[in-house]
Amino acid sequence: MNKILLIIQREFLTRVRKKTFIIGTILFPVLYLALIFGSGYIADKTREDLKIALIDRSGLFTKDQIEQVNGKDTANTIQLISSNTERVIAGYDSLGFDGYLVIPGNFNWQTGADSLIVNTKKSYGMGALNPIEKKINALWNKIKHDSLGIDINKEVLLNKSISLKLHNEQNRNADAVAASTIGYVCGFLMYLILLLYGSQVMMGVTEEKTSRIAEVVVSSVKPFQLMIGKIVGIGMVALTQFLIWIACIFLIYNVGKASGNNSETSFAIVAQIQHVFTSVDIYLTVGCFIFYMLGGFFFYSSLYAAIGSAINEDMREAQSLSFPITMLVIFSIFLMAPTIANPGSPVAVWASIIPFSSPIVMMARIPFGVPNTVPWWQLGLSMVLLIAGFMLTTWFAARIYRTGILMYGKKPSWKEMLKWAFRK
Amino acid sequence: MNILEVQHLKKYFATQKAVDDISMSIEQGSIFGLLGPNGAGKTTLIRMITGIFYPDSGNILLKGKKFEPENDAKYIGYMPEERGLYKKMKIGEQALYLAQLKGLRKNDAMHKIKDWFQRLEMESWWNKKVEDLSKGMGQKLQFVITVLHEPDLIILDEPFSGLDPVNANLIKDEIYRLAQKGTTIIFSTHRMEQVEEICNHIVLVNKGQKILDGTVHNIKQEFKENLFGLQLETMPENTGSPSFDIVSKNKQDLIVKINEGYKPNDVLGYFINQGTNIISFKENLPSLNDIFIKLVEGTPTARQFEKITG
Repeated sequence: MNKILLIIQREFLTRVRKKTFIIGTILFPVLYLALIFGSGYIADKTREDLKIALIDRSGLFTKDQIEQVNGKDTANTIQLISSNTERVIAGYDSLGFDGYLVIPGNFNWQTGADSLIVNTKKSYGMGALNPIEKKINALWNKIKHDSLGIDINKEVLLNKSISLKLHNEQNRNADAVAASTIGYVCGFLMYLILLLYGSQVMMGVTEEKTSRIAEVVVSSVKPFQLMIGKIVGIGMVALTQFLIWIACIFLIYNVGKASGNNSETSFAIVAQIQHVFTSVDIYLTVGCFIFYMLGGFFFYSSLYAAIGSAINEDMREAQSLSFPITMLVIFSIFLMAPTIANPGSPVAVWASIIPFSSPIVMMARIPFGVPNTVPWWQLGLSMVLLIAGFMLTTWFAARIYRTGILMYGKKPSWKEMLKWAFRK
Repeated sequence: MNILEVQHLKKYFATQKAVDDISMSIEQGSIFGLLGPNGAGKTTLIRMITGIFYPDSGNILLKGKKFEPENDAKYIGYMPEERGLYKKMKIGEQALYLAQLKGLRKNDAMHKIKDWFQRLEMESWWNKKVEDLSKGMGQKLQFVITVLHEPDLIILDEPFSGLDPVNANLIKDEIYRLAQKGTTIIFSTHRMEQVEEICNHIVLVNKGQKILDGTVHNIKQEFKENLFGLQLETMPENTGSPSFDIVSKNKQDLIVKINEGYKPNDVLGYFINQGTNIISFKENLPSLNDIFIKLVEGTPTARQFEKITG
């Protein structure tokens, strides 16, 4: 027991004292936020704007109306032209059009048309035409209203609609948007932690094997102690990093709250954060996150340790052997989106109970509320199964590990590794 | 008293009988040579003695009691053939860590490390990393780490490979010093000249089996071919005698093989009668190298893979 503590201590201290730990702790949240907000920003920036020529053979569309709808969205525009299609095609570059739309002469304000074709000079994505479609329909609406004699007041009245909002009886603060956001952040963070720290365990084991220190150490301790010591030590590093982040968030929040009274904007941000914090049981979420982070980490990292013990210096071996394990993690993250959309659906329930996917999927569900969305029995069963799951993977991994770390030469096949595991 | 006894030890791998029924005993305080060509099963045998592998069958007795790897690790120091240290860890911390893993308390370990580092002039290494060391320096460090916790049994696998003569002598002196203090040393190697010089007792293994066991003196006696070397002032014209055959001959030196039923004195008597002045007369015992090659010869240099059933 004492020896395991020594190993844990070494694994922990050598990692925490490295500069990369400090840099990683600071940079990770920055990169993480950049990833989340950056992807939205990039999607916004890469959107393609269209300028479409409108050739109206029906004579129903007027310049005034078109200018009016263009004014609402200046990125995508429609321009009424009187020339024929050949001149538009010939003058794509000089006139600056991306395509043209012909309203046929038989276009009638009552029947309209099921579909019209926009001819473009190149291919566009599915969403590119949406703004233009909206404009054409807005124009047709105007034509219909004018023909029916509906004035602007009646139009406003006709357009009024009622919006429905969810109100949870048991949890008055529940907010589906906040829960989805937190669920998404938690699930994705879990995914990154499992992959990053799992591969750290794998590389650590391989390093011990290839530098031949393993043989020196296992003449003093049992291979199992060495493996468990490494896994727990690296797990503690992950936990430390997470606690630093949590401490920072609470610190920033409280400092922001104290100084928030002075400025309008920061007060608004703090109010928003406060809203998120109160709408979700933040202590339960953080507590569960720590449990699932450690449970999931033990589950996967012991498998990664087994892989690490089987490979030699070649990193390609590491990739091909760890692929099935990594696929399990990636599969779990694919289950996250449908889970957040429907946190009570059977897929979400079972994926959050079965050990390999439960760390990510359950963390995506918990912000929606315990015991509302996630009944206590589901949470309890999921936790018990995760503990049982990592005990099983650890047992299994230890049996591969004890043979693997002393085995040099060619890369073992999965069949050989299974043979190591089930040998007496 | 025997510090270590190995009884009918077996370890089969999927394609090889790595160790096939080996028994031996090692006396406390002796320097014991475990010899064999590459792939003979030495490393597997050692790994069982150090508790890294469990034997398929057979017993290991340490100090007369059944060997329990977990509790007995502190009595054994093992330096594997492939040296292994954490490359990025500071040397002082590394020595301390590995000593603590052997069960030493921190203060004791610190004290002993300082002592050894001082004696082998390694004090300036404390804050260096292993990757900064040359191969020979790494070897020296590995040796210190192996013997640091004052084990009763030290197992050294090819301890001199990669060492220059100065450092090899340094380590050799330390080995003698430890043996004098009562430490038992097992020396695994295929370098015969070192064994001849250092070991009292040897075991030769080949293809997983023990093929020779005894003291260096007895083994040489057993394999001697009654060869004697003579140095003469002048070589006589005629050197025929029923008592010996000439094996080789040049200007002054003569190697003879004494025939059955004759004694060295008969040879000397013959030359004295011839009136030749004898400068020297010495028995030529076979070197362990010769015996080794003679015994191992004929078996393939590399072990073949075989199908193991049962």
